[in-house]
Amino acid sequence: MILQTLELKNFRLHKNTFIKFSRNLNYIVGGNGQGKTSLLEAIYYLCTSKNLLQSPDSEVVNFDEKFFEISGDFINGSGNKIRILYSLETGKKNIFLNEKQIYKSSEIIGKFPVVTLTQTDHFITQGSPLYRRKLIDSIISQASQTYLKTLMEYNRILKQRSSLLTKIRETGYPVYEEELEVWNASLVKKGSEIIEKRLEFINEFNGYVKNSYNEIMGEKEIPALSYKSTVSTIDLQNIASVFNENLQKRKREEIARGYNLIGPHRDDVIFKINGYDLKKYGSQGQNKTFQISLKFAQFFYLKDKLNKTPIFLLDDVFGELDSERIEKISFYLKKIGQAFITLTDFTNVENLNKDENDLMIHISKGEVKNVS
Amino acid sequence: MILAEPLQVAIDELSKLPSIGRKTAQRLALHLLKSDPVDVENLANAILDLKRKIKICKRCFNIAVDEYCEICKSEKRDQQTICVVEEVSDIVAIEKTNEYNGLYHVLGGVLSPLAGTGADSLHIKELLTRIHEENTTEVILALNPDTEGEATSLYLAKLIKPLGVKVTRIARGLPMGGDLEFADEATIGRAVLSRIKL
Ligand SMILES: [Zn+2]
Repeated sequence: MILQTLELKNFRLHKNTFIKFSRNLNYIVGGNGQGKTSLLEAIYYLCTSKNLLQSPDSEVVNFDEKFFEISGDFINGSGNKIRILYSLETGKKNIFLNEKQIYKSSEIIGKFPVVTLTQTDHFITQGSPLYRRKLIDSIISQASQTYLKTLMEYNRILKQRSSLLTKIRETGYPVYEEELEVWNASLVKKGSEIIEKRLEFINEFNGYVKNSYNEIMGEKEIPALSYKSTVSTIDLQNIASVFNENLQKRKREEIARGYNLIGPHRDDVIFKINGYDLKKYGSQGQNKTFQISLKFAQFFYLKDKLNKTPIFLLDDVFGELDSERIEKISFYLKKIGQAFITLTDFTNVENLNKDENDLMIHISKGEVKNVS
Repeated sequence: MILAEPLQVAIDELSKLPSIGRKTAQRLALHLLKSDPVDVENLANAILDLKRKIKICKRCFNIAVDEYCEICKSEKRDQQTICVVEEVSDIVAIEKTNEYNGLYHVLGGVLSPLAGTGADSLHIKELLTRIHEENTTEVILALNPDTEGEATSLYLAKLIKPLGVKVTRIARGLPMGGDLEFADEATIGRAVLSRIKL
């Protein structure tokens, strides 16, 4: 999939911006607050209809204006034009695919796969388990609609079940415990499916992460991912029966707290380098390299699974990295095809290995100053 | 504008009906005012009868004119098979297919702790009594295939199986999360015919 052109109207600082992109690497250069990350934000809107930075749509409208509009021309199978129009007055976002309005964002999800690397990705290796679950769930969901559906059903069961646990705590009626049995069964069924799928994914994804990490760091460090489940720390062969057993064991505790204490919604993914826990022992550089490797791995994984090249957005990937790392990554990027990479003015452009097919797009005060 | 009170009351009442706005209510009221008194009386009686004469079937909780509904009264229906549904509208949907010839049992909802619906607020006890008294041989669970429908099916299967009765569930030809009420007849028909033993 290739994004050929992007047109922005009243999108943050961009009053009126039109860019024709390279099919290879597009480096977007500019100082802080000049509107370079906005370009990634706009492309992300085209792919998902959602905001990359989780800002409300209304915040994106240029100061003084009443709407924003984003249009993009993709080469995607037969060629696809996406246009998104947001009006401040109605608070509505209208999405057009080939100039035909679509009413559900689910209609475009999966059609325009996108992989992003942003400033908040440090949470993936350094934050709470929530960020790691989010990462793997979003990758698996992008590749499998079935997984996404199971995940949604599981979340519904969690809500019903915690509501029932609270009811049992408050009333103490043993009748409700019979009902709990069936919600347990549903929880175990869907929960086990999720864990099985995650284990299978991590098993496969490990290879992708090893490759990516190796491209950036060389072979002296070996990364690995493993799954840490609240269902069982030892035996994940017979997930369903272990899950059931442990639910019975912790029944009183769950009722006392009115909370779903075990299941994939509380699980974690552990990252290791040469057998050491990254979160505990990793340096800043190793953390950053791991985050970047995960995203490259996601890109190649989705490319293989979807038979479609995702759009790759990298926000200030080179910050905090030494020149050797910058050079390695810039070579690695050539294997991606098209990518969009923001750079600060301070990035040492010498190490980028830019060739004639790549573009250097300079942005200042919401305008394209020059393209070289 | 001040309207004569009876007219105003009629407009107010009519506009409470679904999909009837203020304007339509006014048009209907004025139309009734001009209509033949006999027609108006017939309409009024039909509406009253709807409420007075329609009851809930004592046996299966379907709507009925007498103590028992038309399905329960029919001797042609297979008396030993019960199809369990959430709402009366599901009976209508299944009946339209002409593929099912047994009896029904309306649960009146599904288990949903979030909505405050527990087993005690559904017609489950009555179902168990029926199975016992009517020598039922098969119970078909035809609940919607969503999270709550699934949990309720599981709950019922657990209670019914020990009674030595065959418990089946309609096949999953239905669209996921799709209500029985909105699925097309052919799909429901297929689903009812090809059921799965639990
Ligand atoms: Zn009846």
